Order: sequence, then C-alpha cells, then structure tokens
Amino acid sequence: MNNSSFLGCTLIVMRKELRDFARDRRTFLLTLLMAPLLYPLLILGMGKLTQMRADTQLEKTLEISVQGIERAPNLVAFLASRGIDAKAAPADFEARISTQREDVALVIGKDFADDWRAGKPAKVEMVMDSTRRDADVPTGRVRAALEQYGQSVGALRLLARGVNPMVASPVNLGTRDLATPEAKRGLMLSLILPLIMTLFAFIGGSHLAMDTTAGERERQSLEPLLATPASRGALVSGKMAAACIMGIASMLLILLSFKLSAALASGEASALDVSFAAIGKMLVILLPLVLIGTALLTCLAAAAKSMKEAQSHIVWLMMLPMLPAYALMAYPLKDTALWQYAVPFLSQNQLLVKVNRGESPTPEQWAIYLAASLSLAGVLWLIAVWRYRQEKLAISA
Amino acid sequence: MIVAEHLRKTFPGKGKDKTPVIAVDDVGFTAHDGQITGLLGPNGAGKTTTMRMLYTLMTPETGRVLVDGIDVAADPNRVRRSLGVLPDARGVYKRLTARENIAYFGELHGMPANLIAQRTAKLAAALQMEDFLDRVTEGFSQGQRTKTAIARALIHDPKNVILDEPTNGLDVMTTRGLRAFLMELRAEGRCVIFSSHIMQEVAALCDRIVVIAQGKVAAQGTTDELREQAGEANLEDAFVRLIGSEEGLHA
Repeated sequence: MNNSSFLGCTLIVMRKELRDFARDRRTFLLTLLMAPLLYPLLILGMGKLTQMRADTQLEKTLEISVQGIERAPNLVAFLASRGIDAKAAPADFEARISTQREDVALVIGKDFADDWRAGKPAKVEMVMDSTRRDADVPTGRVRAALEQYGQSVGALRLLARGVNPMVASPVNLGTRDLATPEAKRGLMLSLILPLIMTLFAFIGGSHLAMDTTAGERERQSLEPLLATPASRGALVSGKMAAACIMGIASMLLILLSFKLSAALASGEASALDVSFAAIGKMLVILLPLVLIGTALLTCLAAAAKSMKEAQSHIVWLMMLPMLPAYALMAYPLKDTALWQYAVPFLSQNQLLVKVNRGESPTPEQWAIYLAASLSLAGVLWLIAVWRYRQEKLAISA
Repeated sequence: MIVAEHLRKTFPGKGKDKTPVIAVDDVGFTAHDGQITGLLGPNGAGKTTTMRMLYTLMTPETGRVLVDGIDVAADPNRVRRSLGVLPDARGVYKRLTARENIAYFGELHGMPANLIAQRTAKLAAALQMEDFLDRVTEGFSQGQRTKTAIARALIHDPKNVILDEPTNGLDVMTTRGLRAFLMELRAEGRCVIFSSHIMQEVAALCDRIVVIAQGKVAAQGTTDELREQAGEANLEDAFVRLIGSEEGLHA
C-alpha cells in the first residue's frame, strides 16, 4: 500500500471515529467540557477558601480557655489587647481540644504569681494538637502574643534595674518573607494546575482511544474491519488521530477556560501568565503528552481482553501524572538540570510551572523535552501498530 | 476461485491441560467460480477457523490458501480486495446509519463516493433493505443487522464471497430472501463459500458440499456423491454417517 492511500485510509478512519463519537452526545460533551468547567471552579474556589480562612482566623477575636485565669490578670488583659479573649477553662478542656471543639488553651502554673513576683520564669503551658492544620493560625497568634508579652515585661524589668534592655538581645533577627499571602496561594496553584493539565492531556482522550479498540472488538465490528484491505497501520493511526483530535480540542478548551478564570480571579491567580504566548507554550508542552497518552491507551486497549479490562488500567494511569507532583512535594528539585526534561510527567510539570510563572524554558530544555516525548510517543505508536498486526487482536470471542 | 490445501491450525491449551487444541487439521477443498460451496459441520467443527484462514485473518500453520491463484500468505492485501467477507462477528456501528456503515467500508476499499452510492442502491434493492437504509442501526433486528453486514461486505463488488453462517438467527422469510440473494451471486459468476450447521440449507443451496467434523474434512462432493460415499440413499442418513453424530440436523 503506498503512502497516499495510507494517509487516505487514516483520514477515513479518523473521520468515521469522530462522527461516531460525536453522535454519542453525552459522552462527547462530558469528554470535551468536564475539565474546562472544572478549572475555573478550582481556581476561583481555592482562592475563595484561602481568603475565607485568613479572614475568619486572622481578624476575628479569638476565644481561648485558660486554666488558672485568676492567677494572671495582667496577662489576660494583654491578650485581650491583642484580640484574644481569655475565659476560664472548663474542666474537660483537654478533651475539647482533642475533639477539635477548641483549637488552643493555656494553663497558668500554680506557682505563677509567686514565681512572677520573685522574678523567676513563670510557667505558662500551651495546650494544642500540632497535627491539626486548622489550628495553625490560632496557635500561632497565641504564641506570638505570649512572646511579645514576655519580651516587653523582660525589657521593663531590665529598665527597672537600670540596664538597657538592648544588651539582652545581642542579635537583631528579622525575617523578610518575600512571599505575599497571594504568592502562598499561588504555591498551591503551582502544584495543582500543572497536575490537572497533565492529567487531562494524558487521559483526556481515553474514552475514545479505548472505545475504538477494545470497545470495537467487544461490539464485534473489529473483525470485519480487519478483513478490509486497509492496512493495519492506517487503521490504528486513524483511530489514534481521532483520539488525539479530541484530546487537543479539550486541551484548547481547558487553556481557554484557564485564561478566562485567571482573568476573573483575584490575587496570584490573576498574576499567572495567561498571555497568548504563554498559552501557546503550554499547548506545545501538552501536545506530546496527548500523543503519548493516546498511544499508550491504544496499546493497552489492544492487549486487553475486554473493555472492562482496558478501563481498569485507568486507575494506575491516573496515578502516573501525580507521581512527580508528589515527589516534588517531598523533594523539591531546582528546575535547571537538563535530565528532568527527558522524564515524562516530571518534564511537563516543570515546564508548566515555569511558563505559569512567566518564565521561558531555554532552547536546550525545549529540544530535550520535545525529542524525548515525541520519540516516546513514536515508540508507543509502533507498539500499537504491531499489536494491531497480531492475529489474536481480531478474534473477539 | 478459492483453493485451500492441507490447512492446519492449533490453539494453545488453556488451564491445567496445556496440550494445544487442534482446531483444523489437514482441511483442503476447491471452491469454483459460479458455484456455491457449502461448509457443513456441527458447532465447533472448525468451520469458522477454516474461514478465517480463507479470508486472511489467520495464518495457517501448514498448507496454503490460493484466491484466484494468489497465495494469501504472499499478498494478503491483494487477496482482501477480491474477497467479500461476512465474518462470524458481524457488529455494525450502532450510531451510524446502515448507509453510513456500508459507505465506510466502501471508502476503506478506496471506492469513490458515486460508485459507493451506486453499489449501495443495487445491494439495498437485492437485499430488500431500502426501508431501513437511512436509519441508525441501533435497535435493528438481527435480520436487518445481517443484511447491513452483507451489503457492507459486498460493497466493492468482490469476485469471491465468504459468508460465515449467514442465516444464523434469521427468521424463515429473511432466510428465503437471503437464499435468493446467494443464488443471484452465483448466477453472476462469483465464487461463493458459506458455512452452516443446518443440513437442509446446505443441501438446498450448494453445488458442492464440504463436510467438516472435528477439524477434518469428513467428505466432500455434490449431494449425489455424498450419498454414494456414505452408502445411504437418504441424504440425512448420509450426513449422520459422515459427521458421526446427529448434531446439526435440525433446521
């Protein structure tokens, strides 16, 4: 079979598969629109949630239980000036903390008043559960207030003894966290957005890829198809091309919705780079992944005995794009080493983060990425063609 | 003309018993142009496997298949062009209309659109499928699906036609129509091979009969020759003797 009719057959198969799939209205729309609709919800929703948490926990008056409240009236008054209302602790305050009904409590030591007067360190215990992320903000507020109180009282005592309080603080330690609260929200986005993009690029076309191979065999129409003179390579290429087109279409919609939702969002999300140049770069990053995903799914579907078996692969396939994201959470890598751009999923992750931050990958990084991912897609395509040439593929029952 | 010589096919054994299953062993026959050749045998005799080797989907372990003098193993694509195949699996695309199903295969055979339309009209008339031609095939009856599959198989006007149990699951009227259609194909000078496990059908239609049982050719020839070989005056008794069981006698 010569090249032109190979291409012709590929186009015929592709057109038929797309038409067939488009008539399955519900699956079609679900495949195409789910991710683009999910995207703004995530960006806007996560921003909103972080905002709400900051608003309620940072600015609202915090109520805490204090055991032995009568022993330290001055401390209580100081806390009140920092927006922390102390109240006498109920008998079961420890149980209340472990059941999350309260976030943090203080225990004023029995000898607090005596130690205080004697100028010895007076004991104040903080009771909290360090594994509750939700208690982070209140605990931090109480701790900061206590430290301030300790420092100011210490300074006063030194002054009363005629000593300059500054001698007691030989080092003036200050931190300048350059990350704004928006950037911290952006940190979350930088973990989640590339993950979703890679995930949908990778298995977005999965339904079509599996349905046209495992599904077609299950519906018993593969055997007559393979008895036609169309070459196996053209058949599988046409099916893969259809799945790729669906994948690319859904990618375009995702990027479009990404652009729209970033424009609507406040904070760091609106600082994400969503110029058309950046969108174009993201598309180039995601395209090879669409090819890899489609080819891999076609290989798996061709090897599977049934549609059910093919679909059960989805679980571990969904894990694949997440692995580098999790690995990077545990072991953050600088995105400068070139080898990273040859590793599937890790490379997409690093490149997407770069582009989202408004940076541009270097030409070497582009070259290595495109060469590695396109050759992987090519190898998978060859495996898929080889699978289609096997005798047992055709036999359904 | 289709010639099968010494075909043999085994499948790897499954489960504890690893001995390979011999599906077809030393099957050979010749199907001439302008004749209907019937493969008759009980279920599981090896008819479908034999046919799959004829229509290039399986490679025989030994022996060879010649279609119009071309070795199937040497040039399968050329052979596929001159074959019209109704396989055992006859699924149609349920979201496409019958016409679109047929046209898809025409396109894969490299036919231009006007020729496809012309052939479709002719086949639709011959198979009496005009009233459902433009309906989506979801919800088709078994007969409508089979007709669609046959039309799709014959869209490229093949010289050789291989039909695997074409009357399976069809009612009497549809079967009669299909028989008439097969007669037409024969009258047009095509080489028609069809398989069946129903004796009466094979006897009524076929010029030559190849009786297959347990993967081997039990006997072949015209009905008269078979009667003679078995030494039975009654055709039914002859088949029972040749097949070695009474299976497949009930229409």
